[in-house]
Amino acid sequence: MGRIVVCIKGVPKPGTVKVDKETHTLRRESAELILNPPDRPALEVALRLKDQTNFEVIAISMGPPNMVPLLQKVYALGVDDIYLISDRAFAGSDTLATSRILAKALSLLSPFDLVVMGARSIDGETGQVPPETASLLNLPSITYVKELRFVDGKFIAIREDDFGEEEVEFSPAAVVSIVPEIDYVRPPSLKRLLSLKEITPKILTNAELNLDEASIGLSGSPTQVADVFEKTLVSRGEIFEGEPDELAEKLIEVLKEKGFLA
Amino acid sequence: MAECIFAFGQCFEGKLHPASLEILTPLREVADRLNKRLILIGLADDKEKFLAIPELKKLLADEVWYIIHPNLKHLPDDLCERVLVYLASEHKPYGIFFPATKKGLSVAPRVAGSLQAGLCAHVNAFEVKNGNLFLLRPTYGENIIAKLTSQRLPIMATLALNAFPIKEAEKEPLIKELKHPEGFDWSTKLTIKNFKPPKKEPSRLSVAKVVVAGGMGLKSKENFQMLFELAKILKAEVGGTRPAVHAGWVEADRMIGVSGVSVRPKLYLAFGISGAIQHTVGMEGSEFIVSINIDKEAPMMKMAHIGFVCDAPSFLKALLRKLKAKD
Ligand SMILES: Cc1cc2nc3c(=O)[nH]c(=O)nc-3n(C[C@H](O)[C@H](O)[C@H](O)COP(=O)(O)OP(=O)(O)OC[C@H]3O[C@@H](n4cnc5c(N)ncnc54)[C@H](O)[C@@H]3O)c2cc1C
Ligand SMILES: Nc1ncnc2c1ncn2[C@@H]1O[C@H](COP(=O)(O)O)[C@@H](O)[C@H]1O
Repeated sequence: MGRIVVCIKGVPKPGTVKVDKETHTLRRESAELILNPPDRPALEVALRLKDQTNFEVIAISMGPPNMVPLLQKVYALGVDDIYLISDRAFAGSDTLATSRILAKALSLLSPFDLVVMGARSIDGETGQVPPETASLLNLPSITYVKELRFVDGKFIAIREDDFGEEEVEFSPAAVVSIVPEIDYVRPPSLKRLLSLKEITPKILTNAELNLDEASIGLSGSPTQVADVFEKTLVSRGEIFEGEPDELAEKLIEVLKEKGFLA
Repeated sequence: MAECIFAFGQCFEGKLHPASLEILTPLREVADRLNKRLILIGLADDKEKFLAIPELKKLLADEVWYIIHPNLKHLPDDLCERVLVYLASEHKPYGIFFPATKKGLSVAPRVAGSLQAGLCAHVNAFEVKNGNLFLLRPTYGENIIAKLTSQRLPIMATLALNAFPIKEAEKEPLIKELKHPEGFDWSTKLTIKNFKPPKKEPSRLSVAKVVVAGGMGLKSKENFQMLFELAKILKAEVGGTRPAVHAGWVEADRMIGVSGVSVRPKLYLAFGISGAIQHTVGMEGSEFIVSINIDKEAPMMKMAHIGFVCDAPSFLKALLRKLKAKD
């Protein structure tokens, strides 16, 4: 039986984020977390492979302890095991430091056949973690995957590229990132939902990962914020109020004046 | 040491991706201010086709270095990484920059991982101060721009699409083929079984003269559809905000902003768009901005040259009725 590891991320619920004034990083402890939406189809892809080929599926997440309920919900979808990678030393990690931590955790979970991630996280929107983690593990990465099959010991993916669509074949192990185009995602299992209280994620701290503190967290992140500044907006135009009809008429006038309408 | 800057020149079958031309515009300025040589790196499978790329002679780069190998046809991510990491270790560039194309976003993190370098995403402006390079990009939260530095060299970033105009040089760059050493590992773990060119035409949004864009203030997919009618009349292209795309009202390739495309039209009409910075960085170069919003204080209303405080669906209905009556 092979093994698939899905990396999921908790992201602040839009509107609940606070930025740390000193480090200019997000204060994730204070935010309400939701599952990064693109990670949902990533889980579905892994679970479909499990249905077909009997892979064992493990979900892991690096984040603060308030990730636990999210991991439990993911357990209810049908994954076999859940892990939380959590340590104060990990806070403030940029994508390089995050990828180092995930790569180390994955190597502790090896051998695996596949690592599945989301195409991007909605808070950072970088999509850097999957290929960067793959590179640190010396594995191939296949990004923007729309479809994934497992045939005769090999994976076949349909992926989007700038000049077209590729059908790529590769052998285990590899890292894929999934674009959220899946038509259907399964609901949680009722039976599992009822037993959630007994399910707690296994915790991996830096005691287990044993990474040099200089390579993780804020100090292990080469990218630093030198400054942030607010863009101030000064009203520059005229504002009109009124009924839709008269306002639409006004716009037509302006468009004609400016030559956008004959 | 660190006297050159690499720009990733993404090409396929004798075509250079326009985004690779875009990034040369700001990098040219950076290279001049920091006194570095700007080098476009091209990886390809066919030398003749590569050298026939029409833009090559007008590039803003000082030099073009190209590497030819049959396995580079589809630019496999793992092999691209190995080739670029080799070049970086040989030439120790000050910076390595990629366009935020799918390929750029897939290869850059691999190179950054290998080189243990920081990698900034969504960069849409640079600043040079006291010989240091700062990368600017919009960040999480309302209307905040972050100025980033890297503690290590090379400085690496992926640059927003359409954020910079393509410019041509007067002088031809020096074009030379680089040979990798005997025994270099040209293998890739990715086998391309099949390749299909895109089914539909790419949208012309990024070059449109008139853009009609909609956000959540339009309330429904049906209402959003009206934008396409308006676009026909105004000879415009339709764009949307990220939430409108996520709601399924409009296709992803019509998203305007950091995660989508940038536009620079003569006329930009915003229907029910709040004007969050992730969106406005993609349209702030518009010449004339019109905003329709029920909230007078919305940032888009402040950016607009003319704003209408009004229910966007009703406004749009009235507008279409009047325009059609005039035909
Ligand atoms: C990392 C990251 C990347 C992002 N990238 C992008 C991106 O590339 N592009 C993008 O657009 N967004 C992006 N976003 C999201 C962005 O921050 C905003 O959330 C988004 O632009 C808001 O879209 P909106 O204006 O449609 O919706 P809202 O913010 O919900 O605004 C709706 C507006 O409509 C008005 N309104 C409500 N009802 C009516 C009515 N009846 N008539 C008229 N007006 C009405 C409201 O007053 C409001 O101003 C990104 C966010 C993050 C965190
Ligand atoms: N802290 C994390 N823990 C687990 N997975 C992560 C984490 N950060 C990013 N990922 C994975 O990487 C994908 C892309 O994220 P990003 O590179 O941040 O845009 C996400 O969809 C997740 O699958």
